[in-house]
Amino acid sequence: MMRWLQSLGPESRSLNEIHSQFLEMMVDGRHVFDAAANALLGGTAPEVIRDDLFATDRRINRTEQAIRREIVVHGSIYGAATFPALLVMMSLVKDAERIGDYAKNLYGLAAARPPLGGDAERKAMIDLKDRVSKLIVRAHGLFESQNDSDARAFLEEVHQIEGECDAQVDLGLHARKDNASARVLAHRYFKRVTSHTGNIVSSLVVPLDKLDYFDEPRPKGS
Amino acid sequence: MDSPSATPRFGPEVFLRVLLVMALLVGFLVAIQCMGGSIKLMGKETSESLFRGVSNPFAGLAVGILATVLVQSSSTTTSMIVALVGSGEISVESAVPMIMGANIGTTITNTLVSVGHVRQSAAFRRAFAAATVHDFFNLICVAVFLPLELLTGFLSKPALYLTEVLAGAPGAEYKSPIKGAVKSAYKSILHGLENLGLEGTPLALCMLTLGIGMTFFCLIFITKNMRTLIVGPLEQAMNNSLRRSGMIGIVVGAAVTVAVQSSSITTSLLVPLCAAGILSLENAFPIMLGANIGTTVTALLASTAVDSSAGLTIALVHALFNVAGTVCIYPFRAVRRVPLALARNLAIAASRNPVYVLFYVLGAFVGVPLVGIWITNLFQ
Repeated sequence: MMRWLQSLGPESRSLNEIHSQFLEMMVDGRHVFDAAANALLGGTAPEVIRDDLFATDRRINRTEQAIRREIVVHGSIYGAATFPALLVMMSLVKDAERIGDYAKNLYGLAAARPPLGGDAERKAMIDLKDRVSKLIVRAHGLFESQNDSDARAFLEEVHQIEGECDAQVDLGLHARKDNASARVLAHRYFKRVTSHTGNIVSSLVVPLDKLDYFDEPRPKGS
Repeated sequence: MDSPSATPRFGPEVFLRVLLVMALLVGFLVAIQCMGGSIKLMGKETSESLFRGVSNPFAGLAVGILATVLVQSSSTTTSMIVALVGSGEISVESAVPMIMGANIGTTITNTLVSVGHVRQSAAFRRAFAAATVHDFFNLICVAVFLPLELLTGFLSKPALYLTEVLAGAPGAEYKSPIKGAVKSAYKSILHGLENLGLEGTPLALCMLTLGIGMTFFCLIFITKNMRTLIVGPLEQAMNNSLRRSGMIGIVVGAAVTVAVQSSSITTSLLVPLCAAGILSLENAFPIMLGANIGTTVTALLASTAVDSSAGLTIALVHALFNVAGTVCIYPFRAVRRVPLALARNLAIAASRNPVYVLFYVLGAFVGVPLVGIWITNLFQ
């Protein structure tokens, strides 16, 4: 799908601009995710990162709005042939924007300074956080390189992390000994950031109508 | 609307397209010659009886509106008017209302584009306001400037003066640099048709049909090719205009329209942007005014192909009319608000009841001209 978007015209300055603005959104998304997750798990005081985190999130939102405007102008000028590719981009910027939103949720959790369990639980969450952060960086690279086979491998890892997050949410929901609500929420947010990152990469390998549904089980024989 | 592909890089494709546009421009000028020549071939009696009606200003205005609504291109109508004036068949005075009518008639294209949003109330309200603000601006200009022109000649007098400066004494044969080539192409076509055995009225009608057909063909393909050539800068200009108002919008509107030779292309691009809410009516308005000015270049181009300098005079009247409208209305906030408010109020009414759209389109573009012609005939 993204190949098609590019094939519409490498000469189109606006499409290239949209593409690079989108990549900036991903860089910002990773930055806010790291900052918020470190505030939750790494010991950074939430108030220290607060202003930077919210300013970056506002920049993500402004970039999303600018991209939307440019998409409408591009569609109006180039006409119907460009609409599918522009619809893909419209969906992707929403995914990139959601990463910022979930980072803010993580920050809200960190600001409440909730109990996150013992050292083992905390260490597992830090490992998970690192993997999710690296996923965002890899998604950025894949979006630039447009490599199909790497994208498929990436999506396998996305499935795996989503599964691990679901398992942790289940465990937390049924925990009897300690208060696991913060862990449940954090894993839920990690899963959402992972899924939105996966959605972005899925645009490299799935058709438009299957965007956001790449992880649904496929019927046999398909 | 055709979808241009991405901006081609400079290379053989661009080179060929530029050549094609130049050839089409020559074709367009030959078409103007054919139209002017065909009227002469009809003979004085026939042509006088054809254009007797338009000596009445209201009828001329009505003819300008109706002709433009029918051909959906003010460039085509104004070029025809220039050809008629240039061939000496109608006077500059008679042609002024027709030119003003063409200005009104051309705005129907936007209105029809805006109807595409009728299912979504808010989007339709914005789109319809964007489409009709151009109508109201042109209607106000005609309502103010037509009587003023009839009383004082405030447009035709400076146009005559400019014609003298640019082309010599009024009515003199206007020697434009490319007219020789255009004229010889016209003569070849004429001889070709005569060799087929045509003469008199059939020859004139054949020449007229050919002229109109070629004008359409050339303008359509000039627009199509120019749009492909400038699609990148066009997109950039539109992106830059979204948050800006005033002079930049006017310059962008004029430049884009001169490049694509169609004000409808420029103004119709604005309608979906306004419908989506990313371009405000206030910021779209100056772009439309720029388009109004830019579109006058087509008539000026056409005037280079006609025999008499009167063709240039009427083309200059067209340019002065649109510049005067912009200068008198846009800089003054209170005046500028009038077409904006009228368009907004009509859009609100139309979004509540789409029947208003039908009444408005039929009334403004068909009813008023027909009533005008009927009243004129009644008094004649």
